[in-house]
Amino acid sequence: MTNAMMSRRRFFTASAAGVATLTIARVASAQEGEQQVNTGAANAPMEADRYKPVRLAAKGSPVMSQAQRDELEHHLHCQCGCNLDVYTCRTTDFSCQVSPAMHGDVMALVAGGYSAPEIIAAFKNVYGDRVLMAPPTSGFDIAAWITPFVAIIAGIALVLVVLRRLRAPALAPAMTSPVTDATPDEQARLDALVRSDDR
Amino acid sequence: MILIGELSLWVALLMATWGTTVGFAGGYYKRPELIASAERASYATFGFLLLAALGLWTALLHSDFSFRYVASYTSANLPSVYKATAFWAGQSGSLLLWAFILSAYSAIAVWTNRSRNRELMPYVTATLAAITLFFVLTLCFGSNPYERLDWIPPDGTGLNPQLQNPGMAIHPPNLYLGYIGTAIPFAFAIAALITRRLDAGWLAAVRRWTLVSWFFNTTGIILGMWWAYVELGWGGYWAWDPVENASFLPWLVNTAFLHSIMVQEKRGMLRKWNVTLVVSAFLLAILGTFITRSGVISSVHSFAQSNVGYWFLGFLVISIAVTAYLVATRLNDLEAKAELESLVSREASFLFNNLLLVGIAFAVLWGTLFPILSEAVTNNKITVGPPFFNKVNVPLGLALLALTGIGPLIAWRRASAENLKRQFTGPLLAGITVGAALFASGMRGFGALVAYTLCGFVTGTIIQEFWKGVGARHRMYGENPAMALVRLVARNRRRYGGYIVHVGIVVLFAAFAGLAFKEEFDVTLKGGESYEAKDPYGNDWRFVSQGVSRYDELNRQTTAVLLDAFRNGKRVGVIKTEKRQYMDSRGVPTFQPATEVGIKEGIREDVYVVLAGVIGEDTAEMRITFNPLVWWVWYGGMIMAVGGLIVMWPQAERRRAQAGYSTVLQPAEQTA
Repeated sequence: MTNAMMSRRRFFTASAAGVATLTIARVASAQEGEQQVNTGAANAPMEADRYKPVRLAAKGSPVMSQAQRDELEHHLHCQCGCNLDVYTCRTTDFSCQVSPAMHGDVMALVAGGYSAPEIIAAFKNVYGDRVLMAPPTSGFDIAAWITPFVAIIAGIALVLVVLRRLRAPALAPAMTSPVTDATPDEQARLDALVRSDDR
Repeated sequence: MILIGELSLWVALLMATWGTTVGFAGGYYKRPELIASAERASYATFGFLLLAALGLWTALLHSDFSFRYVASYTSANLPSVYKATAFWAGQSGSLLLWAFILSAYSAIAVWTNRSRNRELMPYVTATLAAITLFFVLTLCFGSNPYERLDWIPPDGTGLNPQLQNPGMAIHPPNLYLGYIGTAIPFAFAIAALITRRLDAGWLAAVRRWTLVSWFFNTTGIILGMWWAYVELGWGGYWAWDPVENASFLPWLVNTAFLHSIMVQEKRGMLRKWNVTLVVSAFLLAILGTFITRSGVISSVHSFAQSNVGYWFLGFLVISIAVTAYLVATRLNDLEAKAELESLVSREASFLFNNLLLVGIAFAVLWGTLFPILSEAVTNNKITVGPPFFNKVNVPLGLALLALTGIGPLIAWRRASAENLKRQFTGPLLAGITVGAALFASGMRGFGALVAYTLCGFVTGTIIQEFWKGVGARHRMYGENPAMALVRLVARNRRRYGGYIVHVGIVVLFAAFAGLAFKEEFDVTLKGGESYEAKDPYGNDWRFVSQGVSRYDELNRQTTAVLLDAFRNGKRVGVIKTEKRQYMDSRGVPTFQPATEVGIKEGIREDVYVVLAGVIGEDTAEMRITFNPLVWWVWYGGMIMAVGGLIVMWPQAERRRAQAGYSTVLQPAEQTA
């Protein structure tokens, strides 16, 4: 039984390692060639063709404040090749040509009376999910959001099971007294000392 | 010296190969002469890698542009200090630094264990030699800092302006010292697994090394945050970038281990878990290195893409396979030696503490790697940025903060209702008082209120612990409070040093919560014009532009704007923000223009000014940010470092004997 369990464990370990290797290698291989020296936002490649206009006809007067617009831009990923959102990139990397252009589109949509969800949807239509700073909450990508909490809940369940297993059947003192030649009074004082200092 | 360094790298390769081979052979056949040879090889590897490092430093400082590395990361007019720090600016130099530090650690570990842990040491030496061998192999055949160019360029490319900062001089070495520190506990774990000597002995050997790793990882991360804050100009210090996350993962796991090791020492429990944490910390350090160097995940900190990433991937897979095999075949030797007396006990609280730390580590790792998984499954590129990490980790972080206050209040083995009431009353009152006071003063952000309430609770716990200890010493020995405090910490550095680390954590959380009140303004000012704004505390600020000035410095052309700053009508100083165009020695621009942030620092808030651009001759576009409590991050880091040092400081064994511990505790329960 033990051997069988070990075999299974080894098999799963080997399988997981193999799958992880293949997945990472595949993606790394797919990305090879498109990765570039990327030592900081200021030196990231600024390819103008990474920008795509996001335009919609005006439908009313603005419904967002400047603060709300700035907050919205924190949720849009600048497409210049950096890892920053549009707001941060345009106010940090002043050599970037993409984030000011994307900011211009946001300003135009705000002026045209569009709300934050509508503007995000418009950007998503043009660029796809990569324009979002967080994974979408639909399809496969919802796993990004769910998995950490599922893992934590599973962990809590596991801890409770482990605690129950580790728990003594009877709640008698689990620590057996070590063999010493101390008197009961000395032992009691020593025990109190250890308990107070161990805390 | 350069030639000696170049040759030394190859000799180090031979030494590491020899050390690996005879170390494992000596351990397996129990041949003392082979074991001694492996240990001597460890010292020799260190010596040759030191020569290799000195050779590269010589080439950098002498601007020997015949080497690709020197030409790629320095220029003739680069200040000498940055020529020296260019050692770790690029792929191969930083790998050499990694190998050098690893060899130094290995030599220290072998030397300090020359008369201890002798059953483990052959395998410890061999494992460390094997890891060193991997790095030197990667250096020699994957990314060699001594690679020569076919021609000698008149000047080098120069150093990235963002790396020309004092923070980059000390942040990477600190981080490497932390990363590489995980290799020693890993080697001991492998040795303990191979020899099946999985009692508390090997834990005692690794605890201090884990502390060393944790200490440097902590200081490295904090220094990195400081560098990002003062240099990158986006107004924050942590962006959940993949490389930042990679440095955070071993820290989380090491922190979990430093708590759970106490459970094994005192109760003989969590033996499998501790082995798993020790090896995970090292594997995560290697995974982080793979992420940084492979280009598989986009990051602002990444090195240039090269095949080195695949070397690390291979090494990672082999390490995981070997470790998993060893753990799987030794599970029976890792059974717990004691039983849990109560769910309301210190050991149970440590289990939940570990669960949260490892849960956060999983969430960070998951978010970091998810773009790869998503692209592999859906063929669709997505970004996992701060909105994801903040939403997932903030609740977990707050729960962890709560446990930081709860853990020390619960007794080992079993806590009675009376004990809980006595212990919790003070800290709970402290937390509620802080929360209520902040609410009454007008604070409304729910997350921030919860965070500050918990900070009050944890602070109450720590003060109560110190108060009781000082009171006990005062009663027993008649010491005055200051002397009692000093002696309390000195006599139990591990416990009270740990509490000081907790103080640092509280200060950090207070700083993080302060970010919720950050305010930013986009400003355009001509010389003589002013801008007025209100900070989060309600103070009225006025900024008056003194105009734009342009001048040349050592290796750059600078455009600077000076702002006179006034708070509530009183002048508080001048803030200077710059845009720099770096040039090589021939006056050729080397990089995109870089921004130097102007910061007016304060304990309550920083005023953070970034020059966006200049219109015409005298009009500057700027972003002004009020950043509350940023200095608390640096203070928190310093407090954590001090606490870490206190915990690491050796404690004389005689004091324990005087206290009567060694007469009653079984060997497995004695603390290291």
